[in-house]
Amino acid sequence: MSRIGAAALSLVMLLGLCACGGTTDEGTANAGGEGEKTKLYVVNWKDYGSDDQELIAAFEEEYNCEIVNSYMESEEQLLTSLKTASEGEIDVCLPNCTILPAAIEAGLLMEIDPTQMENFSSLYERFQTQKECFGEDGKMYAVPFVWGSTAIAYNTELMDAAPSSMADLFDEQYAGKVTIRDDYNDAIMAAAIVLGQDPTAPNDLDAIRDLLIQQKSLNRTYWQTGDEFSKLFAGGQIEFGMMWSGQAASMKQEGEPIGFVVPEDGAIGWVDNWAIASGSQNKELALAFINYMISKDVQYAWAAKGGPAPANQEAAESIDPEYAASCGMDEASLNRLYFMAYQDDETKAEWAELWTEVKAS
Amino acid sequence: MEHKKRRLLTLPSVCWLLIFTVLPLLIMLFYSFQSDSGAGFTIENYIHFFSKATYLKLTWRTILSALLVTFFSLLISYPLAYILAKRLRGARALILVLIIIPFFTNQLVRVYSWLIFLQDGGVLNRFLAAIGISPGDSLGILYTQAAVIIALVHAYFPYMVITIYMALERMDNSMLEASYILGATRLTTFRRVIFPVSMPGVVSGILIVFVPCLGSFVEPRILGGTNGTLIGTVIEDQFTELYGWGFGSSIAFLLLALVILSMLVINWWGRRYEE
Amino acid sequence: MKTRNVGSRIFILLALLYLYVPIVVLIVMGFNESRYNSLPFTFSLRWYQDLFQDAALLEATRNSLLIALITGVACMILGTLFILGHKALQNKSKQLVRSFVMMPMSIPWLILGLSLLLMIRAVGLEKNLFFVIAGHIVISLPYTLLVLEARVQSMDQSLEDMSASLGANPWTTFWRVTFPAIVPAVVAGGFLSFMISFDNFPISYFLMPSGISTLPIEIQSSIKFGFTPEINAISTVIIGVSLLCLAVVGLIMGRTLMNMIGGTKKNV
Repeated sequence: MSRIGAAALSLVMLLGLCACGGTTDEGTANAGGEGEKTKLYVVNWKDYGSDDQELIAAFEEEYNCEIVNSYMESEEQLLTSLKTASEGEIDVCLPNCTILPAAIEAGLLMEIDPTQMENFSSLYERFQTQKECFGEDGKMYAVPFVWGSTAIAYNTELMDAAPSSMADLFDEQYAGKVTIRDDYNDAIMAAAIVLGQDPTAPNDLDAIRDLLIQQKSLNRTYWQTGDEFSKLFAGGQIEFGMMWSGQAASMKQEGEPIGFVVPEDGAIGWVDNWAIASGSQNKELALAFINYMISKDVQYAWAAKGGPAPANQEAAESIDPEYAASCGMDEASLNRLYFMAYQDDETKAEWAELWTEVKAS
Repeated sequence: MEHKKRRLLTLPSVCWLLIFTVLPLLIMLFYSFQSDSGAGFTIENYIHFFSKATYLKLTWRTILSALLVTFFSLLISYPLAYILAKRLRGARALILVLIIIPFFTNQLVRVYSWLIFLQDGGVLNRFLAAIGISPGDSLGILYTQAAVIIALVHAYFPYMVITIYMALERMDNSMLEASYILGATRLTTFRRVIFPVSMPGVVSGILIVFVPCLGSFVEPRILGGTNGTLIGTVIEDQFTELYGWGFGSSIAFLLLALVILSMLVINWWGRRYEE
Repeated sequence: MKTRNVGSRIFILLALLYLYVPIVVLIVMGFNESRYNSLPFTFSLRWYQDLFQDAALLEATRNSLLIALITGVACMILGTLFILGHKALQNKSKQLVRSFVMMPMSIPWLILGLSLLLMIRAVGLEKNLFFVIAGHIVISLPYTLLVLEARVQSMDQSLEDMSASLGANPWTTFWRVTFPAIVPAVVAGGFLSFMISFDNFPISYFLMPSGISTLPIEIQSSIKFGFTPEINAISTVIIGVSLLCLAVVGLIMGRTLMNMIGGTKKNV
């Protein structure tokens, strides 16, 4: 034991030295820099625009500020963070429509005056008036940033034609070759589309449960994070499956043989919105940041890099139409989507329980 | 007198845990009796758990998987620890270090490596095909319980090796010699001399594997296919996805009760053996 | 005897093979061109180039090391104190106190992290690094104690008694008899907690103040859209550095350190 003990001790000490050395270096580097910059605390998905140096460099320069990103894991967890954050801990965040009304109602967000943002008027009409962005008091609390869909991605090498219907995911003939997402919202909305129920307010949950239990054995596996899907797909484990438009686009840019389609009978849509936390100490800067992020240039640049579809109409129209259609960013796809809506806590719990029953079956 | 003072040395650890474990858990226990719909004190969360076959089924699935993982870990760890402690003098420091090195990599990254290794058309599949014992295109291990167990055993057995090794290593070799001189067979020596001495290590090792397995959810979800959902997933979802802190807390406390129960059983078994 | 040793060696080789399969896969995939780890293999240094430009990932790694180091040292100190005091307790309370300190092992980390967050908010404090480390100590301490305990239980009580009966004061007994006997276990325990802290995600995640990140946090937040083999690259670098440190230590200071610690046991 003594030798391993000795080795371990020394290893720990050495690693410690490396670590301390590194920190000191950085400490001095910072001290040598120019005066204090204002910090804008942004909570966002990782690799989702606000942490892209190329995109935000111009903004940081103009406002002599620093964007400090921290990352969210899920929408509900963002809500939790907002609820538990202390004053000034979060300035700007990116909730989607499923939690926005809850966040507004709980007083977690600050009112936003659209007239103070010159780029607001170039958003699609439907996004300027999106109902989830408004509180019951009629005031606006969030600004749409990007949208996308959860539809079907397929392997163009293994399949001759794109799947035409959401029902293909539920078709026996593809047993073992498909995958849907391990997410109660996506699963239930997809099943509702197939059953012809209203995906935002399904009325026959028992039928949905039965359909999903039937579908379970057809899956190669369920996937949950984008990374799991990309490895399933790239490893040739599936022919097609439920997927996000944004990730399908970036996988395509990486050279994967991936096609993306919003099928005829529709698919699930989502919108990510910028909002300002009520505890923010930098409201002016936060507003300027949001205005910057929805500008035509930033939105176009990010979409071209493989980001999701821009909410800014001018930016959307400057994207190559063929590319837009191939990753479901075109207006025709937009009109086929059922956008995820806010569900109250009770409904959510009920849906989640249904999904747990499916997985436990 | 002297003993009394010495006992105070336990205080720093005990206080630390009081402040950073007991207090937070009490706050959480309070939550488990709060209705998620905001109706104040209630036991509805607990009733809800037991009224649904789903949750009981997932709990059973979880226990079963944890038992299997513990069993296989013991199967690997005990001989390994024994060989290290009693057979190999020269190389054992090196081997112990080799056992520890993999833990400098992130758990999630290791899970993904298993995925790539085990998948159909993956590394193992290609290797088997290349040396001629090919099961065709589909290996069929990934997305089954076997894959989950392979990864979980891999994640936890080294801890068990360490605890058993620590217990065996301090054993006096003269005890073994005495046993042989007195004419005991190897099996008897093992049963009557070696095993009892290693018991504290075995008990610690079982706990160190079994307990985290009960709460594991990453490996089963990624490697276990459509049946990879365990009770840990449900708890995680309640907190991160659903804001169901009350219900989540109550499941957590039920899991906790299960853990305490199993610890009591393991400890009782261990002590009985030592006597 | 000879054949038994061959058997032993084969067993060890198989166990090491099992242990290193995913490690080898992850190292190899760090050199694979494909972003999604797909085969066939095409050699590329692309991910290493990316890694050394990825300031965020490097800084996160450094933070992880630092936090793990503090946690490891704290656990060594707390653990040693505890194990010494614990010996002096009476049977009933001894068992009780033991179960108490082992408790965190039986609580899923996710829940410990969340409950700590709840508590911090309840008393109106800010998230800060202190609480992150406090949480890490809570989850690592039991592991340190397990290692220590296995050692102490087997220690010959008569040695201490003898020392005392020969007139040594408790302090001398501690330094000359008890401490040398448990040093290897203390170090091993501290090392174990270092590793647990280094790889911990849930505690750090819920308690970390915004803008600071650790390696597991970076990795976990990458999986929403897919982490690149940069993660494989950094894992490889970490393994490489640890191996190198061990080798250097073994070659240069091995003998001195070993004599220092090795003196505690005759038959090493």
